Amino acid sequence: MIDQSTSRAWKSFAWAVLLVAVVVALTPYVWMVLASFKNRVDLLSSVPKWVFTPTLSNYPAVFIDKEYWPLAINSVLISVSSTVLCIVIGAPAAYGFARSDFPGKEDLFFFFLTTRMAPPISIAVPLFLFFTSLGLIDTIYAVVIAHTSFNLSLVVWMMRGFFAEIPREIDEAAMMDGRSRLGAFFFVVAPLAAPGIGATAVLCFILSWNEFLYAFILVAFDGRPLTVGIPGLVTPHGTLWGQVAAVAIVATLPIVLFTFLVQKQLVRGLTFGAVKG
Amino acid sequence: MAIVFDGVTKAFPDGTVALQALDLAFEPGEFLVLLGPSGSGKTTACRLLAGLERPTAGRILVEGRDVTDLPPRLRGMGMVFQNYALYSHKSVYENIAYPLRIRKMPAAELDRCVRAMAELLEITRYLDRRPSQLSGGQAQRVAVARALVWQPSLCLMDEPLSNLDALLRLHMRTELKRLHRELKKTFVFVTHDQEEAMTLATRVAVLREGALIQYDDPREIYRRPANRFIAEFIGRPAMNTFDGDVRGGVFHASGFSCPLPGKPDGPIVLGIRPEQIQLVDASAGDAIQFAVDVVEPVEPDVLIFAKSEANALIVRTVNDDRAYDPGQKLHLRFPPAALHTFDAVSGARLP
Repeated sequence: MIDQSTSRAWKSFAWAVLLVAVVVALTPYVWMVLASFKNRVDLLSSVPKWVFTPTLSNYPAVFIDKEYWPLAINSVLISVSSTVLCIVIGAPAAYGFARSDFPGKEDLFFFFLTTRMAPPISIAVPLFLFFTSLGLIDTIYAVVIAHTSFNLSLVVWMMRGFFAEIPREIDEAAMMDGRSRLGAFFFVVAPLAAPGIGATAVLCFILSWNEFLYAFILVAFDGRPLTVGIPGLVTPHGTLWGQVAAVAIVATLPIVLFTFLVQKQLVRGLTFGAVKG
Repeated sequence: MAIVFDGVTKAFPDGTVALQALDLAFEPGEFLVLLGPSGSGKTTACRLLAGLERPTAGRILVEGRDVTDLPPRLRGMGMVFQNYALYSHKSVYENIAYPLRIRKMPAAELDRCVRAMAELLEITRYLDRRPSQLSGGQAQRVAVARALVWQPSLCLMDEPLSNLDALLRLHMRTELKRLHRELKKTFVFVTHDQEEAMTLATRVAVLREGALIQYDDPREIYRRPANRFIAEFIGRPAMNTFDGDVRGGVFHASGFSCPLPGKPDGPIVLGIRPEQIQLVDASAGDAIQFAVDVVEPVEPDVLIFAKSEANALIVRTVNDDRAYDPGQKLHLRFPPAALHTFDAVSGARLP
């Protein structure tokens, strides 16, 4: 009896903590959703307004009048291209790390990870100069390459775990069955690792989609993704909060969607090794 | 034409020498068993033949052709792995069909080959299942079917039965022997189980610490083990061995002595198989005396573990329901024809 009531108390406590966490995490987002449907007066009212007459004017105002819709296309182009590049380059590299042994392997692997450890701003200026001399500045190519470079280490790190979970004998069986080593990778191991590759790709996509700093520094006009478009709404005459919120909602939609679709694989991908098998 | 290991050495980057200058040749159609304890190099030998490892030195020849540098796919060998290594994302049918798909066999012929092989291994009704829905024995059969479906001239098996439970293992053992007879292929089978080796092999290669220590048909290995190690490895239970000295045609060891004519004086190792020791009446004058320690009935036989001073032995005899009490005296006779002798230092068999 005592045990039961104690566990019930713990349960309610856990629920309370969860509730607080959810409220803290979701309130800004909910507020942003509401803001995107508010007119200027409601937005700037000194008392926060939860009930108001919604308006749809913010969305066309920014996406059509201000011609922000190509920015969404840029965001998609940048994220998809850098994700594809990351997987195409990173998956074979990760397979190499998972399967072959060579002197200095772990050092090289750690070196890959360290590229992710420096504060991103520290390489922003070198990257800017680099792309300027390549003539790629202010193009989406620069952003794609920058995103690929910083996501690649993550891909190699995550994918190595997924490949390591597949027994070596699978590759060897494929080779005995008549595949070359590369054939075994492409036709047998990669399909087996498909869920992991998918989860990694989604993470890459999200990180690239959300990225602001490099995109902001490398493109100013035509190649801007949505994230970089938002500061453009901060004008000398004041910030257009309603339009900022509208862009932010559109910019977060794919992330929300993807997270719901692949959250299981994503969690597994980020915690591999913790739970084997 | 033969398959030949010509002075094959394999050293791994960590310094382990898995195989040391292995010379071994066998003929097509044989059921060759590579037998040895763990670390003996038997699996390495199998993987070298498959092309999954490359030798540090030496050559491997198949039908006179040097295949040392050929990748696995060009060697024309099938392989069954210990953990089956089935493709979990494909159905059983597709698993078996995979080597044929790689070879771009026409669909109708492919279907016929897969079904014929499934029929042979009695797995036809599992063809639509996923590997995860199979029992160990069924998965094993699928692995064998996949290795043989494309008619390779040689099939390698790396401890294929060791993940199966005891009954299934006996059953699969018989199946493999039948398969070998029906398909007339060359089988190379790796195991640490001497009983599997004795029952399956046309020839057994016993390996120890990377060296081939005896290569013969199973009967010879049982009857004339090349050294003390093999004597103590083969048999159920293995041979009893005793360290002792010969003095004037009599073998003296701790706790007993027995006549051993024709051997020069000096240290020697005497061996006798448990099933060849005879129990005699107490009245027999020259009986060797041991005291019963533990008795294990392995119907229809009985194993008697007995001790005499520092020596211990096992007697295997038909269980005639006689009671053996711990401590009871056993009167034994070692028939001279059943005795084996080994060098006290090198362990090599003495003539």
